[in-house]
Amino acid sequence: MSQKGFDFGEEPEERAEPARGARSADDKEAPKARSARPAAASSKPEPRRALSVSELTDRIQGVLETEFFDVWVEGEISNLKLASSGHWYFSLKDDKAQIAAVVWRNDARLVRFKPKDGMKVLARGQLRVYPPRGSYQISVQVIEPLGKGSLQQAYEELKEKLEQEGLFAPSRKRPLPMLPRRIGVVTSPTGAVLKDILRVLRSRYANLEVLVYPAHVQGDDAAGDVAQGIRALNKLAARPGGPRLDVIVLARGGGSLEDLWAFNEEGVARAIAASAIPTISAVGHETDFTIADFVADLRAATPSAAAERVVQAKEDLQARVRALDERRDAALRLKLARTRHRVESAAVHRVFAAERNRIRNQAQRTDELLRRSEASLRRAVERGAAHARRLRERLEAFRLDRQLAARRERCAGLGRRLEDLFRSQTDRRRARLGRLAASLDGLSPLSVLGRGYALVWDEARERLVRSASEVAPGEALRIRLHQGALRATVTSRENE
Amino acid sequence: MTDTPTFEQALQQLEQIVQKLEKGELPLEDSLKLYEDGIRLSRLCHGKLEEAEGRIEVLLKDARGEPVTDAAGRPKTRPVPAGDEDER
Repeated sequence: MSQKGFDFGEEPEERAEPARGARSADDKEAPKARSARPAAASSKPEPRRALSVSELTDRIQGVLETEFFDVWVEGEISNLKLASSGHWYFSLKDDKAQIAAVVWRNDARLVRFKPKDGMKVLARGQLRVYPPRGSYQISVQVIEPLGKGSLQQAYEELKEKLEQEGLFAPSRKRPLPMLPRRIGVVTSPTGAVLKDILRVLRSRYANLEVLVYPAHVQGDDAAGDVAQGIRALNKLAARPGGPRLDVIVLARGGGSLEDLWAFNEEGVARAIAASAIPTISAVGHETDFTIADFVADLRAATPSAAAERVVQAKEDLQARVRALDERRDAALRLKLARTRHRVESAAVHRVFAAERNRIRNQAQRTDELLRRSEASLRRAVERGAAHARRLRERLEAFRLDRQLAARRERCAGLGRRLEDLFRSQTDRRRARLGRLAASLDGLSPLSVLGRGYALVWDEARERLVRSASEVAPGEALRIRLHQGALRATVTSRENE
Repeated sequence: MTDTPTFEQALQQLEQIVQKLEKGELPLEDSLKLYEDGIRLSRLCHGKLEEAEGRIEVLLKDARGEPVTDAAGRPKTRPVPAGDEDER
């Protein structure tokens, strides 16, 4: 809740209801403020007659507002709320006490500096009592900065020290994993911050394990809790079988310097520096830098920004893989085209039978590889519609089938040529044989007989008769005709 | 937990395969083998991006702030509170 100021002029002096939380009469002389001076003697009540709360408050008001009508006070601004109405509400505090303060709009307009939590100021104003609450505050008319607040100073001293040690050095910053699988988060398990982180993570990438170390992120325990959380997650991850965390996020929503203070403590800074797991600090809003922000591997302005940094958009990574897919496919196609070209030139230029076998084997092997490649390419096609469309266009241009068919045709043609060659040689031999057979025919005696000649043997068929002088009349002869044979007797002889 | 490469490793291997293929110096058979490895890696990458088995848990811790674990060393957890408290 914001610190409610009150404008005295708007509040009726007399209230029907007594303020709640009224003090016992024993406290009457020393209302809370340590600076209260002894009240005027005249205000001492009569022994028996009790004051009503309103009467007492009325008297306190009289004392305080008279005594502290115009007072200077020095303190640190804390819990500053700049209301949209233009009024400023805050506490002024030192190490032991605090007092509520307000600067009304008309006075605030005249202030030359921008107030901030932790800032030490000198303020001048008057004390005002608010009877309905029994509270008081200082209504500040003049305010000016006074050096630096102690928290601010502590912050700057620690920052300086750690910077000297090199804890903020860019060389210490480790890259975050591209696609973390397990994320540790140190934060309040019930806060809106955790919900913001989880919402962003889930919208980007579903396959995440998030392990939350529940920690107070505000108050006295916060620094110890956060440091312990970082150490505990590291230990857990280092254990065999433990969850291997890829990154640790420290998260907290924005707030005043005091609210965020845990993240400015040395203990937290040391735990971050010692973390074996990369860390992201997401504390406060854009403008506030904590010591944790400087030490962590990455500083995110807000918890949701941290979640965005932890997980790159899925689409970006998909696009990267797809680009590689395309290059891979193109490279294989080129390889195939070259191989085919080589095989085909070999087939064209070598016509020996042995070569043909080798070429056929190679062609068969290539065919097989081509089929496998084609199948692989087809499978690749099945991934993603846009990707598939591009691939199909290229496949179209490629027409593996057609080229295969053309090459098979070429091999077959080669075979036919060789066969033709053999066939024509055989035919030539056969023709020549025909011619030889024909001339042999002319030499056969039987074909001479066919033309009307006859063979004449002696009786005993021991010798052919070639001359008339070889036989005497009365001798028996055998005559071989084209068809059949005759027995004859020589009747006479005529010598030529 | 398993021997399958991480997304980052798979992407790196795929990158190397593509570079080797693009050099075009390997025989067809080796190229094809590489190509098939490339398909496998790419599928792994795409698969990892599509996996959706997320879990969100809050650690249980003991008095010293140490996570409570079971016998196997796994941390004991509870689900994220569903409430809408606004502690920042």
